[in-house]
Amino acid sequence: MPSATLLGQALISGVLAGGMYGLLALGLSLSWGLLRLVNLSHFALAFLAAYLTYELGTTYHVAPWWSAAMVVPAMFLVGLAQHWLFDKFKVNELASLLITFSFAVILEVAIQLYWTADYRRFETPYSTLSIKAGPFYIPVLELILCLVAGVLAWGTWQWLRKTYVGKALRASAEDADIAAAYGVDYKRLAYLLSGMCAAYAGVAGTFIALIATLAPAQIWTWLGVVFAVVIIGRLGNPLGALAAGMLVGASESIAMAILSPAWAPVVSFSMLIMILLWDPEWL
Amino acid sequence: MLLEARNLHIGYGDAPAVWDVSLDVAAGEIVAVIGPNGAGKTTLINAIAGLLRCRQGELRFDGADMTSVRAHDYCSHGIALVPEGRRLFAKMSVEENLELGCYLPAARAGRDQSLERVYGLFPILRDKRAQPAGELSGGQQQMVAIGRALMARPRIVLFDEPSLGLAPTIVDDMFEIIARVRDEGAAVLLVEQNVLKALGIADRAYVLEQGRIVSAGLPDELLKQPHIREAYLGV
Amino acid sequence: MNAARDLPKLVAGLAIVALAVLPTAGLPAFYDSFVYLVFFWVSLSTSWALLSGFAGYFSLGHAAFFGVGMYTTATLTTKFGVPFLLTIPAAAAVAALLGVGIGAVVFRLRRLRGELFALLTLAVTFVIGTIILNTPIDGGGGVFMSAVPLPHLMPTPTGTIYILGFALCVLTLVTAWWVAHSRLGMGLFAIHDDEDVAEAKGVPTFRYKLLAFALSAGIAGAVGGIHAMYVGFLTVAGTFELTVPLYVVLMSVLGGSRHWLGPAVGATAITTLLYAFISGGEAMIGRAVVGLILIIAILWLPDGIIPAIQHWAKKRRPAPAKARAEVVPAEVVPIVPAKVLPIGERHILEVRAVTKRFGGLQALAGVDLDVREGEIFGLVGPNGSGKTTLINVIAGHYPLSSGTVTVDGISTGGLAAHEIARRGVARTYQIPRPFVTMSVLDNVALAATFGRPVRAQREIRDEARHWIGFTGLAGKEAALPAELNLHERKFLELARALAAKPKLLLLDEVLSGLNPAEIDSAIRLVRAIRGQGATIVFVEHLMRAVVELSDRIAVLNEGKLLALGAPREVMRDPRVVSVYLGKAYAA
Repeated sequence: MPSATLLGQALISGVLAGGMYGLLALGLSLSWGLLRLVNLSHFALAFLAAYLTYELGTTYHVAPWWSAAMVVPAMFLVGLAQHWLFDKFKVNELASLLITFSFAVILEVAIQLYWTADYRRFETPYSTLSIKAGPFYIPVLELILCLVAGVLAWGTWQWLRKTYVGKALRASAEDADIAAAYGVDYKRLAYLLSGMCAAYAGVAGTFIALIATLAPAQIWTWLGVVFAVVIIGRLGNPLGALAAGMLVGASESIAMAILSPAWAPVVSFSMLIMILLWDPEWL
Repeated sequence: MLLEARNLHIGYGDAPAVWDVSLDVAAGEIVAVIGPNGAGKTTLINAIAGLLRCRQGELRFDGADMTSVRAHDYCSHGIALVPEGRRLFAKMSVEENLELGCYLPAARAGRDQSLERVYGLFPILRDKRAQPAGELSGGQQQMVAIGRALMARPRIVLFDEPSLGLAPTIVDDMFEIIARVRDEGAAVLLVEQNVLKALGIADRAYVLEQGRIVSAGLPDELLKQPHIREAYLGV
Repeated sequence: MNAARDLPKLVAGLAIVALAVLPTAGLPAFYDSFVYLVFFWVSLSTSWALLSGFAGYFSLGHAAFFGVGMYTTATLTTKFGVPFLLTIPAAAAVAALLGVGIGAVVFRLRRLRGELFALLTLAVTFVIGTIILNTPIDGGGGVFMSAVPLPHLMPTPTGTIYILGFALCVLTLVTAWWVAHSRLGMGLFAIHDDEDVAEAKGVPTFRYKLLAFALSAGIAGAVGGIHAMYVGFLTVAGTFELTVPLYVVLMSVLGGSRHWLGPAVGATAITTLLYAFISGGEAMIGRAVVGLILIIAILWLPDGIIPAIQHWAKKRRPAPAKARAEVVPAEVVPIVPAKVLPIGERHILEVRAVTKRFGGLQALAGVDLDVREGEIFGLVGPNGSGKTTLINVIAGHYPLSSGTVTVDGISTGGLAAHEIARRGVARTYQIPRPFVTMSVLDNVALAATFGRPVRAQREIRDEARHWIGFTGLAGKEAALPAELNLHERKFLELARALAAKPKLLLLDEVLSGLNPAEIDSAIRLVRAIRGQGATIVFVEHLMRAVVELSDRIAVLNEGKLLALGAPREVMRDPRVVSVYLGKAYAA
């Protein structure tokens, strides 16, 4: 049984790692909950953004926040384009899963063609910075990631709660016909949301570049866990996505400390399976 | 004439539901369409609200031709719907449901005033404003649905079977409220199963049976005709 | 000799022989390897389609069964010295057991269909993979198969693996063909279109899904067992990665997942394409092209290649009948027998103190009624009175909260809907719910197949034709439901219900949406149906028709029986009048 310090560190690392899960889950959750589209290409888009950040950073020496200022809006446009395709072909949920999977594969290939399968690491002066709090180490970049994820999640939640557009989206998800009867142009809102979700992938990608080592195959490693987080946090709930992300991250991390690193996937997927089988919302 | 419908043919897929229906509603009137279940009342009112397309016929609102108007633009013409079964946004709070009513910019400006008006009409909603609409009782939900329509500052309110699923005492209150809606300035088109209540407040009425208008006129006259009885009871 | 039928069989036979002896031809191992991979993907995707294509339960967890099979063989051979050939059926058995285990839990939960089932199966795959990784089964170091002795079935080791893969592929295709043409397949296709209706028509949905899942998993397990030898070195990452489940989906969707040969077509095409790219050194581009093909397939060929070809071929055949004229409904002239059967004394249906709650809503508050044999029994009441709920409870769509329902002396409360269907209860739906991908004839034949004793296909089809003619749909046997108008679809509902030769027929608003001429036609048909010996309970709003047609009427209000008796008396009863029109009228 590991020491209290080790467990504490594991908890901290897990919560921070969960921030990334939550950030990735955010776009996916909104898209599935409010648009009824299961968007597997979300991960590929995040990685595309990551690679672009890396490229801008290493080849053109653009600082990450500047490259984010370019990459994130570009992702927004990609989101619009993707929705246009779905709208034109009236795709249903299951078909959206398959089509977005294909997008992801194509994007993965494109990334590999340009950047090869070699591991890429975006080195920055603050990659290894960490704050010491008592016996614990808190990596700065991941802390910033969690803060950004928190701000985005909370901001989105407020947007959905307080603004007319947010309310219109939530209403349309429940009863699109009646919302339309009161003037809600769902089509336009859907485009907006689609762009936003892609933009969130862009933000996640920026941090992926800063924190992780990039390889095209990595696109798939997060897929399962993030889906688990999306379901556990409830569809369409931004705060839920973040909270679930941190919960799953922490659970995984502690399991890893107590058992062994390789057991991590069992935690998230077992939680997913249990939620699907027993949670009244899904029954 | 505020609302003019001429020779409407409406259907679902290839199932025709309404044949050759014409009706009028003038400003300040309460017009009722009564008929038994399955007569096509909901189909008719959904088409007038823009939820369904008419296969044939003309629909004019204050002179404007509504046939090419898209569903989400109907509200901006001044048409508000209180749907059958309420159809509230159950997971959203009472107040959010009401706010959806004034989603359009024109109505949004008067949000606070409109809210006050609605809470004045339905004091109990003020207490429950933060509760999810799905948790309210049937009668309270109906109040929210009516309130939502009023928030849109409509010129005509369409009621689809407002008494459905409500206890008899509440039904009386409901019809009083409908009368007040007219008094406050909106015209009312009401489809109802409950003959007496509907004819009790209507200025004029139509009888719809099997998708066709079989009779029209003043409430008192209609009550004397055998049509209604036969339509409802088959004898 | 019928050339059209025998030629394909001859060609297939020759192909099988040719493929079987290919390894002896002395070609470079590359070809054996490539063709083996074709067999591999054909078996894997065809087995996937058994549940996911036929029944529509989209699984993303096929890798779990495949992986379990691989590791069963690996473990049994390397750790326990079991002869390789024996481990293959073992692998199949273990995988099948896993499938049954998962299915037994998941198939009971109504909500877990669609994407959620896909997600769940994906999650299970990851869990199993991780368990294998962390236990001595793999332990992280992978498993080497090189020391395992391979039986000498063919001149080369590759040839032996080839022939095993080939044998399994043939077995899989035969299985798929057999399932598609069996009762099991018919039931699965029905489940795909509308599971609840399939259940109501007598298909034992739970059992069939479980069976399909077991077959699917078992075959995948066997494929894995053989493949373990092919790869020679197993790793968890390589076995349980996302490629397998997604490729089998792609191949099946491309070829046509509802056709027994569809996945094979898709698998061959994709494998060949991928191999062409790989051997050309462009593996990456190959994957991207495959992704692009999937997108195109889903958008433009949503049913797959084979159905598209069938559709095209059908269009090219000389158009048989007259073009569908303007909607003049065929005059149904069913023969009303000269003597109307007298109403029996026996009670076909007895409802006692039945209540039904939905959460806080009391839909039925204690209903008592009896329906006599041969009656036409009308069930009316204002909206929300519980009429449709009562029908649903009797048919078994909802379990009742309390009380008893007895059909011809047998208590049916608590039975599954398909069991109730087998005991002689059939129902129609207000909005017709035909099986949309099946022809009119197949729709009716299905109802005649389930809920009745097993009979030969020919007999069933003849009987189906009889009922189709009886309801006036003769000539439309090959049509799809989407090609019928509402009137015809309603009569299809009736034909389907009649084909089950029910004792009790429940009609839910069969007249709604019909014009006056069609209504007369329907009324005549209902009388003719009674003339055949069925007892009919029908829910209806069109009061004039109810009064005309019924022997007795029951009026429900607020979940309870308000009045019961002869039509004209009941509808003049002051209480009934008051409920419909208000007290003033009743006076």
